[in-house]
Amino acid sequence: MSPPVDRRMIELANVQRTFKRGDGTTVQAISDVSLTVPEGEFVCMIGTSGCGKSTLLSMVAGLLEPSDGSIVVDGREIDGPGRERGMVFQKDSVFPWMRVIDNVEYGLKCRGVPASERRAIARTYLQRVGLAHVETAWPRELSGGMLKRVAIATVFANGGKVLMLDEPFGALDYVTRHQLQDVLLDLWDETGGKAARRTILFVTHDVDEALSLADRILVFGTGRLVDDLRVDAPRPRDTDSLLQPDMVAIKHRLLGHLGLERPTGRAVARGTAA
Amino acid sequence: MTALTRHRDRWISLGVFLVLALIWQVLSVVYTAEAQPGEPMVAGWQVLFTHTLLSLSDYWPGGWGVPAVSEGAPRSYLAAVLSIVVHSADTIGRLAAGMALGGFAGLLLGLAMSWSRWTRRLVDLPIQFLRTLPLLAMVPLFQLWFGTDYMGEVMFVAYGIGVIVFAGTVNAVRNIPPIYLDNARALGASQTMLYRSVILPAIFPAMRSVILLSLGAGWGAVLGAEYLGAQSGLGYIIVYAQQFAFLDRMFLVALLFILYTSVSYWGISRLSARMLAWAPPAQRQ
Repeated sequence: MSPPVDRRMIELANVQRTFKRGDGTTVQAISDVSLTVPEGEFVCMIGTSGCGKSTLLSMVAGLLEPSDGSIVVDGREIDGPGRERGMVFQKDSVFPWMRVIDNVEYGLKCRGVPASERRAIARTYLQRVGLAHVETAWPRELSGGMLKRVAIATVFANGGKVLMLDEPFGALDYVTRHQLQDVLLDLWDETGGKAARRTILFVTHDVDEALSLADRILVFGTGRLVDDLRVDAPRPRDTDSLLQPDMVAIKHRLLGHLGLERPTGRAVARGTAA
Repeated sequence: MTALTRHRDRWISLGVFLVLALIWQVLSVVYTAEAQPGEPMVAGWQVLFTHTLLSLSDYWPGGWGVPAVSEGAPRSYLAAVLSIVVHSADTIGRLAAGMALGGFAGLLLGLAMSWSRWTRRLVDLPIQFLRTLPLLAMVPLFQLWFGTDYMGEVMFVAYGIGVIVFAGTVNAVRNIPPIYLDNARALGASQTMLYRSVILPAIFPAMRSVILLSLGAGWGAVLGAEYLGAQSGLGYIIVYAQQFAFLDRMFLVALLFILYTSVSYWGISRLSARMLAWAPPAQRQ
Protein backbone atom coordinates (compact mmCIF):
# COMPACT_ATOMS: atom_id res chain seq x y z
CA MET A 1 0.00 0.00 0.00
CA SER A 2 2.64 2.49 1.05
CA PRO A 3 4.68 3.71 -1.87
CA PRO A 4 8.48 3.76 -1.37
CA VAL A 5 8.54 7.59 -1.43
CA ASP A 6 7.05 7.58 2.08
CA ARG A 7 9.12 9.29 4.71
CA ARG A 8 10.91 6.99 7.10
CA MET A 9 9.61 7.54 10.59
CA ILE A 10 11.34 4.85 12.60
CA GLU A 11 14.68 3.31 11.70
CA LEU A 12 16.27 0.62 13.79
CA ALA A 13 19.80 -0.44 12.87
CA ASN A 14 21.36 -3.52 14.47
CA VAL A 15 19.63 -2.92 17.77
CA GLN A 16 20.68 -5.23 20.58
CA ARG A 17 19.77 -5.45 24.21
CA THR A 18 21.17 -7.70 26.90
CA PHE A 19 20.05 -8.02 30.49
CA LYS A 20 22.07 -9.19 33.45
CA ARG A 21 20.28 -11.76 35.55
CA GLY A 22 20.57 -11.92 39.31
CA ASP A 23 22.92 -14.91 39.09
CA GLY A 24 25.32 -13.00 36.85
CA THR A 25 24.41 -14.62 33.54
CA THR A 26 23.47 -12.36 30.67
CA VAL A 27 20.34 -12.77 28.62
CA GLN A 28 20.09 -11.57 25.06
CA ALA A 29 16.60 -10.04 24.93
CA ILE A 30 17.03 -8.46 21.50
CA SER A 31 19.71 -9.57 19.08
CA ASP A 32 20.42 -7.57 15.98
CA VAL A 33 17.08 -6.14 14.90
CA SER A 34 17.00 -3.78 11.93
CA LEU A 35 13.84 -2.39 10.42
CA THR A 36 12.30 0.70 8.92
CA VAL A 37 8.77 1.97 9.40
CA PRO A 38 7.41 4.65 7.07
CA GLU A 39 5.29 7.51 8.37
CA GLY A 40 1.65 6.72 9.02
CA GLU A 41 2.01 2.96 9.04
CA PHE A 42 0.13 0.82 11.54
CA VAL A 43 2.55 -1.89 12.59
CA CYS A 44 1.61 -4.78 14.81
CA MET A 45 4.32 -6.70 16.59
CA ILE A 46 3.51 -10.25 17.50
CA GLY A 47 5.40 -13.11 19.07
CA THR A 48 5.35 -15.56 21.91
CA SER A 49 5.72 -14.24 25.42
CA GLY A 50 9.32 -13.36 26.27
CA CYS A 51 10.36 -12.90 22.64
CA GLY A 52 11.55 -9.36 23.28
CA LYS A 53 8.84 -7.32 21.59
CA SER A 54 8.00 -5.31 24.70
CA THR A 55 11.70 -4.70 25.28
CA LEU A 56 12.03 -3.37 21.75
CA LEU A 57 9.04 -1.10 22.29
CA SER A 58 10.47 0.27 25.54
CA MET A 59 13.68 1.07 23.69
CA VAL A 60 11.87 2.97 20.96
CA ALA A 61 9.95 4.79 23.71
CA GLY A 62 13.28 5.73 25.25
CA LEU A 63 12.58 4.08 28.58
CA LEU A 64 15.32 1.50 27.99
CA GLU A 65 18.66 2.04 26.32
CA PRO A 66 19.81 -0.37 23.64
CA SER A 67 23.05 -2.19 24.44
CA ASP A 68 24.13 -1.65 20.86
CA GLY A 69 22.79 -0.25 17.59
CA SER A 70 20.87 2.92 16.86
CA ILE A 71 17.25 3.99 16.93
CA VAL A 72 16.30 6.95 14.78
CA VAL A 73 12.83 8.48 15.01
CA ASP A 74 11.73 11.22 12.66
CA GLY A 75 15.30 11.71 11.47
CA ARG A 76 16.83 12.08 14.90
CA GLU A 77 18.63 9.53 17.00
CA ILE A 78 16.67 9.16 20.21
CA ASP A 79 18.02 9.92 23.64
CA GLY A 80 15.47 9.08 26.33
CA PRO A 81 11.74 9.67 26.02
CA GLY A 82 10.56 12.47 23.75
CA ARG A 83 7.36 14.30 23.01
CA GLU A 84 7.27 12.99 19.43
CA ARG A 85 6.68 9.53 20.87
CA GLY A 86 3.80 8.40 23.08
CA MET A 87 3.31 5.15 24.93
CA VAL A 88 0.24 3.26 26.12
CA PHE A 89 1.15 0.60 28.64
CA GLN A 90 -0.26 -2.81 29.32
CA LYS A 91 -0.96 -2.01 32.95
CA ASP A 92 -3.05 0.92 34.10
CA SER A 93 -0.88 3.98 33.86
CA VAL A 94 -3.52 6.64 34.52
CA PHE A 95 -2.49 8.67 37.58
CA PRO A 96 -5.07 7.95 40.29
CA TRP A 97 -4.44 11.29 42.04
CA MET A 98 -5.47 13.40 39.06
CA ARG A 99 -8.95 13.79 37.70
CA VAL A 100 -9.56 12.33 34.26
CA ILE A 101 -9.17 15.61 32.38
CA ASP A 102 -5.96 16.48 34.27
CA ASN A 103 -4.55 13.12 33.23
CA VAL A 104 -5.29 13.81 29.58
CA GLU A 105 -3.70 17.25 29.91
CA TYR A 106 -0.59 15.98 31.65
CA GLY A 107 1.72 15.71 28.65
CA LEU A 108 0.65 19.14 27.41
CA LYS A 109 1.25 20.58 30.86
CA CYS A 110 4.76 19.12 30.85
CA ARG A 111 5.38 20.97 27.60
CA GLY A 112 4.11 24.26 29.01
CA VAL A 113 0.98 24.57 26.87
CA PRO A 114 -1.24 27.32 28.40
CA ALA A 115 -4.03 26.06 30.66
CA SER A 116 -7.01 27.06 28.53
CA GLU A 117 -5.48 25.70 25.35
CA ARG A 118 -4.57 22.34 26.87
CA ARG A 119 -7.99 22.00 28.42
CA ALA A 120 -9.57 22.48 25.01
CA ILE A 121 -7.30 19.87 23.44
CA ALA A 122 -7.95 17.43 26.28
CA ARG A 123 -11.71 17.95 25.94
CA THR A 124 -11.54 17.20 22.23
CA TYR A 125 -9.78 13.90 22.74
CA LEU A 126 -11.90 12.88 25.72
CA GLN A 127 -14.90 13.41 23.52
CA ARG A 128 -13.39 11.36 20.72
CA VAL A 129 -12.79 8.39 23.02
CA GLY A 130 -16.35 8.78 24.32
CA LEU A 131 -15.51 9.95 27.83
CA ALA A 132 -16.72 13.56 27.81
CA HIS A 133 -19.16 12.72 30.61
CA VAL A 134 -16.50 11.64 33.15
CA GLU A 135 -14.18 14.61 32.69
CA THR A 136 -13.99 15.45 36.40
CA ALA A 137 -14.21 11.90 37.76
CA TRP A 138 -11.42 10.23 39.71
CA PRO A 139 -9.79 7.32 37.86
CA ARG A 140 -10.84 4.90 40.62
CA GLU A 141 -14.44 5.50 39.57
CA LEU A 142 -13.73 4.23 36.03
CA SER A 143 -13.76 0.71 34.61
CA GLY A 144 -10.67 -0.93 33.10
CA GLY A 145 -11.85 -0.19 29.57
CA MET A 146 -12.51 3.46 30.40
CA LEU A 147 -9.04 3.79 31.92
CA LYS A 148 -7.56 2.51 28.66
CA ARG A 149 -9.57 5.14 26.81
CA VAL A 150 -8.11 7.79 29.09
CA ALA A 151 -4.58 6.50 28.42
CA ILE A 152 -5.19 6.56 24.67
CA ALA A 153 -6.69 10.04 24.80
CA THR A 154 -3.66 11.17 26.80
CA VAL A 155 -1.07 10.06 24.25
CA PHE A 156 -3.10 11.35 21.31
CA ALA A 157 -3.63 14.70 23.03
CA ASN A 158 0.10 14.94 23.57
CA GLY A 159 0.47 15.02 19.80
CA GLY A 160 3.24 12.47 19.28
CA LYS A 161 3.96 11.38 15.72
CA VAL A 162 4.81 7.87 16.85
CA LEU A 163 2.53 5.99 19.20
CA MET A 164 3.53 2.80 20.89
CA LEU A 165 1.02 0.50 22.51
CA ASP A 166 2.25 -2.42 24.57
CA GLU A 167 -0.50 -5.06 24.67
CA PRO A 168 -2.91 -2.29 25.61
CA PHE A 169 -6.08 -4.38 25.40
CA GLY A 170 -4.67 -7.65 26.70
CA ALA A 171 -6.46 -7.54 30.03
CA LEU A 172 -9.85 -6.44 28.66
CA ASP A 173 -12.94 -8.47 27.86
CA TYR A 174 -13.86 -9.36 24.29
CA VAL A 175 -16.47 -6.67 23.73
CA THR A 176 -14.44 -3.87 25.31
CA ARG A 177 -11.37 -4.90 23.34
CA HIS A 178 -13.22 -4.61 20.05
CA GLN A 179 -14.73 -1.26 21.01
CA LEU A 180 -11.30 0.05 21.85
CA GLN A 181 -9.79 -1.22 18.61
CA ASP A 182 -12.40 0.89 16.81
CA VAL A 183 -11.61 3.89 19.01
CA LEU A 184 -7.93 3.52 18.21
CA LEU A 185 -8.49 3.20 14.47
CA ASP A 186 -10.79 6.24 14.50
CA LEU A 187 -8.16 8.33 16.19
CA TRP A 188 -5.42 7.00 13.92
CA ASP A 189 -7.46 7.97 10.87
CA GLU A 190 -7.73 11.56 12.18
CA THR A 191 -9.43 14.13 10.03
CA GLY A 192 -6.68 14.75 7.53
CA GLY A 193 -6.82 11.25 6.03
CA LYS A 194 -3.72 9.25 5.29
CA ALA A 195 -1.33 12.16 5.33
CA ALA A 196 -2.16 13.03 8.94
CA ARG A 197 -1.91 9.48 10.22
CA ARG A 198 0.46 8.80 13.03
CA THR A 199 2.85 5.92 13.00
CA ILE A 200 1.78 3.18 15.36
CA LEU A 201 3.69 0.31 16.88
CA PHE A 202 1.24 -2.05 18.52
CA VAL A 203 2.43 -5.07 20.47
CA THR A 204 -0.13 -7.84 20.79
CA HIS A 205 -0.53 -11.54 21.48
CA ASP A 206 -3.78 -11.72 19.61
CA VAL A 207 -3.50 -12.84 15.98
CA ASP A 208 -6.98 -11.62 15.04
CA GLU A 209 -6.29 -8.25 16.64
CA ALA A 210 -3.15 -7.89 14.56
CA LEU A 211 -5.01 -8.87 11.41
CA SER A 212 -7.82 -6.40 11.91
CA LEU A 213 -5.58 -3.47 12.84
CA ALA A 214 -2.28 -3.71 11.00
CA ASP A 215 -0.87 -2.51 7.69
CA ARG A 216 2.08 -4.68 8.50
CA ILE A 217 2.80 -7.42 11.00
CA LEU A 218 6.25 -8.02 12.42
CA VAL A 219 6.79 -11.43 13.94
CA PHE A 220 9.38 -11.81 16.68
CA GLY A 221 10.95 -14.94 18.07
CA THR A 222 13.65 -15.15 20.74
CA GLY A 223 14.89 -11.62 20.23
CA ARG A 224 14.91 -11.66 16.45
CA LEU A 225 12.65 -10.38 13.73
CA VAL A 226 11.54 -13.61 12.05
CA ASP A 227 8.90 -12.41 9.61
CA ASP A 228 7.58 -9.20 8.10
CA LEU A 229 4.13 -9.48 6.55
CA ARG A 230 2.01 -6.93 4.72
CA VAL A 231 -1.72 -6.85 5.34
CA ASP A 232 -3.30 -5.22 2.33
CA ALA A 233 -6.97 -5.84 3.11
CA PRO A 234 -9.05 -2.68 2.70
CA ARG A 235 -10.34 -0.75 5.70
CA PRO A 236 -12.60 -0.70 7.59
CA ARG A 237 -12.16 -4.40 8.20
CA ASP A 238 -15.05 -6.46 9.50
CA THR A 239 -15.64 -10.08 10.36
CA ASP A 240 -15.77 -10.99 6.68
CA SER A 241 -12.40 -9.34 5.93
CA LEU A 242 -10.78 -11.76 8.33
CA LEU A 243 -12.24 -14.63 6.32
CA GLN A 244 -10.76 -13.56 2.99
CA PRO A 245 -8.33 -16.16 1.61
CA ASP A 246 -5.25 -13.96 1.83
CA MET A 247 -6.10 -13.02 5.43
CA VAL A 248 -6.60 -16.66 6.33
CA ALA A 249 -3.25 -17.43 4.72
CA ILE A 250 -1.53 -14.79 6.83
CA LYS A 251 -3.27 -16.12 9.90
CA HIS A 252 -1.98 -19.62 9.19
CA ARG A 253 1.49 -18.30 8.77
CA LEU A 254 1.29 -16.35 12.06
CA LEU A 255 -0.06 -19.34 13.93
CA GLY A 256 2.82 -21.36 12.49
CA HIS A 257 5.32 -18.83 13.83
CA LEU A 258 3.68 -18.91 17.22
CA GLY A 259 3.98 -22.69 17.27
CA LEU A 260 0.23 -23.22 17.25
CA GLU A 261 0.15 -24.95 13.88
CA ARG A 262 2.66 -27.37 12.46
CA PRO A 263 4.16 -25.85 9.33
CA THR A 264 2.96 -28.68 7.08
CA GLY A 265 0.23 -29.35 4.52
CA ARG A 266 -2.36 -26.76 3.60
CA ALA A 267 -1.25 -24.14 6.05
CA VAL A 268 2.19 -23.90 4.53
CA ALA A 269 0.90 -24.06 0.96
CA ARG A 270 -1.36 -21.09 1.68
CA GLY A 271 1.25 -19.27 3.66
CA THR A 272 3.78 -19.38 0.86
CA ALA A 273 1.09 -18.39 -1.59
CA ALA A 274 0.51 -15.19 0.34
CA MET B 1 -27.51 1.03 57.95
CA THR B 2 -23.91 2.17 58.18
CA ALA B 3 -24.97 5.47 59.72
CA LEU B 4 -26.96 3.55 62.27
CA THR B 5 -24.04 1.22 63.00
CA ARG B 6 -21.70 4.17 63.39
CA HIS B 7 -24.20 5.77 65.75
CA ARG B 8 -24.30 2.63 67.84
CA ASP B 9 -20.50 2.38 67.80
CA ARG B 10 -20.35 5.83 69.32
CA TRP B 11 -22.66 4.83 72.16
CA ILE B 12 -20.49 1.78 72.83
CA SER B 13 -17.35 3.94 72.94
CA LEU B 14 -19.01 6.35 75.33
CA GLY B 15 -20.10 3.43 77.51
CA VAL B 16 -16.56 2.05 77.65
CA PHE B 17 -15.30 5.49 78.59
CA LEU B 18 -17.79 5.83 81.44
CA VAL B 19 -17.00 2.35 82.74
CA LEU B 20 -13.28 3.15 82.82
CA ALA B 21 -14.00 6.38 84.74
CA LEU B 22 -16.17 4.44 87.15
CA ILE B 23 -13.47 1.80 87.73
CA TRP B 24 -11.04 4.59 88.55
CA GLN B 25 -13.47 6.06 91.06
CA VAL B 26 -14.06 2.68 92.71
CA LEU B 27 -10.32 2.15 92.87
CA SER B 28 -9.85 5.50 94.61
CA VAL B 29 -12.35 4.47 97.29
CA VAL B 30 -10.98 0.96 97.78
CA TYR B 31 -7.29 1.76 97.60
CA THR B 32 -6.69 4.59 100.03
CA ALA B 33 -2.89 4.47 100.37
CA GLU B 34 -1.20 7.86 100.36
CA ALA B 35 2.15 8.84 98.90
CA GLN B 36 2.42 11.45 101.62
CA PRO B 37 -0.17 12.84 104.01
CA GLY B 38 -3.02 14.34 101.98
CA GLU B 39 -1.73 12.92 98.68
CA PRO B 40 -3.66 9.77 97.71
CA MET B 41 -1.99 7.36 95.25
CA VAL B 42 -5.28 7.16 93.39
CA ALA B 43 -7.19 10.42 93.45
CA GLY B 44 -10.94 10.25 92.85
CA TRP B 45 -12.71 12.54 90.40
CA GLN B 46 -14.09 14.72 93.20
CA VAL B 47 -10.48 15.49 94.18
CA LEU B 48 -9.11 15.83 90.66
CA PHE B 49 -11.60 18.44 89.55
CA THR B 50 -11.46 20.53 92.72
CA HIS B 51 -8.28 20.38 94.76
CA THR B 52 -5.99 19.15 91.97
CA LEU B 53 -7.29 21.50 89.32
CA LEU B 54 -7.03 24.40 91.70
CA SER B 55 -3.47 23.44 92.58
CA LEU B 56 -2.42 23.85 88.95
CA SER B 57 -2.71 27.60 89.51
CA ASP B 58 0.67 27.22 91.26
CA TYR B 59 2.19 27.04 87.75
CA TRP B 60 0.64 30.27 86.58
CA PRO B 61 3.51 32.73 86.07
CA GLY B 62 1.25 35.76 86.48
CA GLY B 63 0.08 38.41 84.04
CA TRP B 64 -3.12 39.42 82.24
CA GLY B 65 -4.42 40.84 85.54
CA VAL B 66 -4.35 37.47 87.25
CA PRO B 67 -1.65 37.43 89.94
CA ALA B 68 0.58 34.39 90.43
CA VAL B 69 0.40 32.21 93.54
CA SER B 70 4.15 32.65 94.00
CA GLU B 71 3.49 36.37 94.42
CA GLY B 72 1.23 35.62 97.37
CA ALA B 73 -2.11 35.53 95.57
CA PRO B 74 -4.61 32.80 96.58
CA ARG B 75 -5.20 29.85 94.20
CA SER B 76 -8.04 30.38 91.77
CA TYR B 77 -9.73 28.38 89.02
CA LEU B 78 -9.04 31.19 86.59
CA ALA B 79 -5.31 30.99 87.26
CA ALA B 80 -5.50 27.20 87.00
CA VAL B 81 -7.18 27.28 83.61
CA LEU B 82 -4.79 29.96 82.37
CA SER B 83 -1.93 27.88 83.62
CA ILE B 84 -3.17 24.84 81.68
CA VAL B 85 -3.62 26.95 78.56
CA VAL B 86 -0.19 28.56 78.75
CA HIS B 87 1.75 25.40 79.49
CA SER B 88 -0.20 23.41 76.92
CA ALA B 89 0.46 26.10 74.34
CA ASP B 90 4.19 25.88 75.09
CA THR B 91 4.26 22.13 74.66
CA ILE B 92 2.06 22.11 71.57
CA GLY B 93 4.00 24.99 70.05
CA ARG B 94 7.29 23.12 70.51
CA LEU B 95 5.73 19.97 69.11
CA ALA B 96 4.26 21.74 66.09
CA ALA B 97 7.44 23.65 65.27
CA GLY B 98 9.57 20.55 65.73
CA MET B 99 7.28 18.40 63.62
CA ALA B 100 7.10 20.95 60.84
CA LEU B 101 10.86 21.38 60.80
CA GLY B 102 11.66 17.68 61.13
CA GLY B 103 8.94 16.58 58.74
CA PHE B 104 10.07 19.00 56.08
CA ALA B 105 13.75 18.14 56.45
CA GLY B 106 13.04 14.40 56.58
CA LEU B 107 10.89 14.58 53.47
CA LEU B 108 13.44 16.65 51.57
CA LEU B 109 16.34 14.40 52.51
CA GLY B 110 14.27 11.31 51.78
CA LEU B 111 13.47 12.62 48.31
CA ALA B 112 17.15 13.49 47.80
CA MET B 113 17.92 9.78 48.14
CA SER B 114 16.23 9.12 44.81
CA TRP B 115 16.89 12.44 43.06
CA SER B 116 20.33 11.61 41.68
CA ARG B 117 23.34 9.48 42.42
CA TRP B 118 25.09 12.56 43.78
CA THR B 119 22.43 13.58 46.26
CA ARG B 120 22.10 9.98 47.33
CA ARG B 121 25.78 9.73 48.14
CA LEU B 122 25.63 13.06 49.91
CA VAL B 123 22.71 12.17 52.15
CA ASP B 124 22.95 8.45 52.70
CA LEU B 125 25.94 8.05 55.01
CA PRO B 126 25.35 11.00 57.38
CA ILE B 127 21.71 10.05 57.83
CA GLN B 128 22.46 6.39 58.45
CA PHE B 129 24.88 7.60 61.08
CA LEU B 130 22.33 9.91 62.73
CA ARG B 131 19.70 7.19 62.71
CA THR B 132 21.74 4.90 64.91
CA LEU B 133 22.03 7.47 67.71
CA PRO B 134 19.55 6.75 70.53
CA LEU B 135 17.14 9.66 70.70
CA LEU B 136 17.02 10.14 74.46
CA ALA B 137 20.80 10.07 74.77
CA MET B 138 20.83 13.26 72.75
CA VAL B 139 18.57 15.35 75.00
CA PRO B 140 21.30 16.89 77.21
CA LEU B 141 23.42 17.64 74.17
CA PHE B 142 20.57 19.33 72.36
CA GLN B 143 19.77 21.42 75.42
CA LEU B 144 23.32 22.59 75.76
CA TRP B 145 23.51 23.37 72.08
CA PHE B 146 20.14 25.00 71.60
CA GLY B 147 19.07 26.05 75.11
CA THR B 148 16.41 24.67 77.44
CA ASP B 149 13.70 27.17 76.76
CA TYR B 150 12.46 26.67 73.25
CA MET B 151 14.96 25.84 70.52
CA GLY B 152 16.40 22.87 72.43
CA GLU B 153 13.03 21.12 72.57
CA VAL B 154 12.11 22.09 69.03
CA MET B 155 15.36 20.80 67.59
CA PHE B 156 15.08 17.64 69.60
CA VAL B 157 11.56 16.92 68.33
CA ALA B 158 12.66 17.84 64.80
CA TYR B 159 15.50 15.37 65.03
CA GLY B 160 13.27 12.56 66.31
CA ILE B 161 10.61 13.21 63.68
CA GLY B 162 13.05 13.85 60.86
CA VAL B 163 14.62 10.43 61.18
CA ILE B 164 11.23 8.70 61.03
CA VAL B 165 9.95 10.77 58.14
CA PHE B 166 13.20 10.26 56.25
CA ALA B 167 12.98 6.48 56.52
CA GLY B 168 9.28 6.56 55.63
CA THR B 169 9.89 8.74 52.58
CA VAL B 170 12.71 6.57 51.24
CA ASN B 171 10.55 3.50 51.64
CA ALA B 172 7.46 5.11 50.11
CA VAL B 173 9.38 6.35 47.07
CA ARG B 174 10.80 2.89 46.58
CA ASN B 175 7.29 1.43 46.54
CA ILE B 176 5.84 3.68 43.85
CA PRO B 177 4.64 1.48 40.99
CA PRO B 178 7.23 2.06 38.21
CA ILE B 179 4.44 2.35 35.65
CA TYR B 180 3.57 5.85 36.88
CA LEU B 181 7.16 7.02 36.58
CA ASP B 182 7.48 5.48 33.10
CA ASN B 183 4.22 7.04 32.01
CA ALA B 184 5.19 10.49 33.26
CA ARG B 185 8.59 10.26 31.59
CA ALA B 186 7.07 9.02 28.34
CA LEU B 187 4.69 12.01 28.42
CA GLY B 188 7.66 14.35 28.72
CA ALA B 189 7.81 15.17 32.44
CA SER B 190 10.99 16.84 33.62
CA GLN B 191 12.65 15.72 36.84
CA THR B 192 11.07 18.56 38.83
CA MET B 193 7.68 17.89 37.30
CA LEU B 194 8.06 14.19 38.08
CA TYR B 195 8.68 14.89 41.75
CA ARG B 196 5.95 17.46 42.08
CA SER B 197 3.16 15.80 40.15
CA VAL B 198 3.91 12.10 40.46
CA ILE B 199 6.24 11.19 43.32
CA LEU B 200 4.78 13.49 45.98
CA PRO B 201 1.15 12.51 45.40
CA ALA B 202 2.07 8.85 44.92
CA ILE B 203 3.80 8.60 48.30
CA PHE B 204 1.06 10.45 50.15
CA PRO B 205 -0.99 7.41 51.20
CA ALA B 206 2.12 5.80 52.65
CA MET B 207 3.27 9.09 54.21
CA ARG B 208 -0.04 9.42 55.97
CA SER B 209 0.74 6.49 58.25
CA VAL B 210 4.29 7.77 58.65
CA ILE B 211 2.91 11.12 59.81
CA LEU B 212 0.55 9.48 62.30
CA LEU B 213 3.40 7.31 63.55
CA SER B 214 5.73 10.27 63.93
CA LEU B 215 3.02 12.22 65.73
CA GLY B 216 3.18 9.64 68.52
CA ALA B 217 6.95 9.83 68.55
CA GLY B 218 6.69 13.64 68.53
CA TRP B 219 4.56 13.73 71.66
CA GLY B 220 7.05 11.39 73.29
CA ALA B 221 10.00 13.48 72.22
CA VAL B 222 8.60 16.83 73.31
CA LEU B 223 7.75 15.41 76.75
CA GLY B 224 11.15 13.78 77.05
CA ALA B 225 12.80 17.07 76.26
CA GLU B 226 10.65 18.94 78.78
CA TYR B 227 11.37 16.42 81.53
CA LEU B 228 15.02 17.19 81.21
CA GLY B 229 15.28 20.86 81.81
CA ALA B 230 12.45 22.95 80.34
CA GLN B 231 11.04 25.76 82.49
CA SER B 232 7.52 25.49 81.12
CA GLY B 233 5.21 23.07 79.40
CA LEU B 234 3.25 20.04 80.49
CA GLY B 235 6.39 17.93 80.84
CA TYR B 236 7.76 20.52 83.24
CA ILE B 237 4.59 20.32 85.36
CA ILE B 238 4.89 16.54 85.55
CA VAL B 239 8.53 16.62 86.63
CA TYR B 240 7.84 19.38 89.18
CA ALA B 241 4.87 17.41 90.54
CA GLN B 242 6.97 14.27 90.77
CA GLN B 243 9.50 15.96 93.01
CA PHE B 244 6.78 16.59 95.61
CA ALA B 245 4.90 13.35 94.94
CA PHE B 246 1.81 15.23 93.71
CA LEU B 247 0.37 12.13 92.05
CA ASP B 248 -3.01 13.76 91.42
CA ARG B 249 -1.44 16.56 89.39
CA MET B 250 0.56 14.11 87.36
CA PHE B 251 -2.59 12.14 86.65
CA LEU B 252 -4.52 15.24 85.63
CA VAL B 253 -1.77 16.25 83.20
CA ALA B 254 -1.72 12.70 81.85
CA LEU B 255 -5.46 13.06 81.16
CA LEU B 256 -4.75 16.28 79.30
CA PHE B 257 -2.25 14.37 77.21
CA ILE B 258 -4.79 11.73 76.31
CA LEU B 259 -7.08 14.53 75.20
CA TYR B 260 -4.44 16.32 73.11
CA THR B 261 -3.03 13.23 71.42
CA SER B 262 -6.53 12.00 70.56
CA VAL B 263 -7.49 15.34 69.10
CA SER B 264 -4.26 15.62 67.12
CA TYR B 265 -4.62 12.07 65.72
CA TRP B 266 -8.22 12.71 64.84
CA GLY B 267 -7.42 16.05 63.21
CA ILE B 268 -4.55 14.77 61.10
CA SER B 269 -6.37 11.68 60.00
CA ARG B 270 -9.44 13.73 59.04
CA LEU B 271 -7.34 16.24 57.13
CA SER B 272 -5.32 13.63 55.27
CA ALA B 273 -8.44 11.60 54.48
CA ARG B 274 -9.82 14.66 52.76
CA MET B 275 -6.60 15.08 50.78
CA LEU B 276 -6.85 11.43 49.74
CA ALA B 277 -10.22 11.82 48.04
CA TRP B 278 -8.70 10.20 44.97
CA ALA B 279 -7.55 7.04 46.71
CA PRO B 280 -9.57 3.86 47.12
CA PRO B 281 -11.46 3.85 50.46
CA ALA B 282 -9.11 1.29 52.05
CA GLN B 283 -6.24 3.78 51.85
CA ARG B 284 -8.27 6.50 53.50
CA GLN B 285 -9.13 4.66 56.70
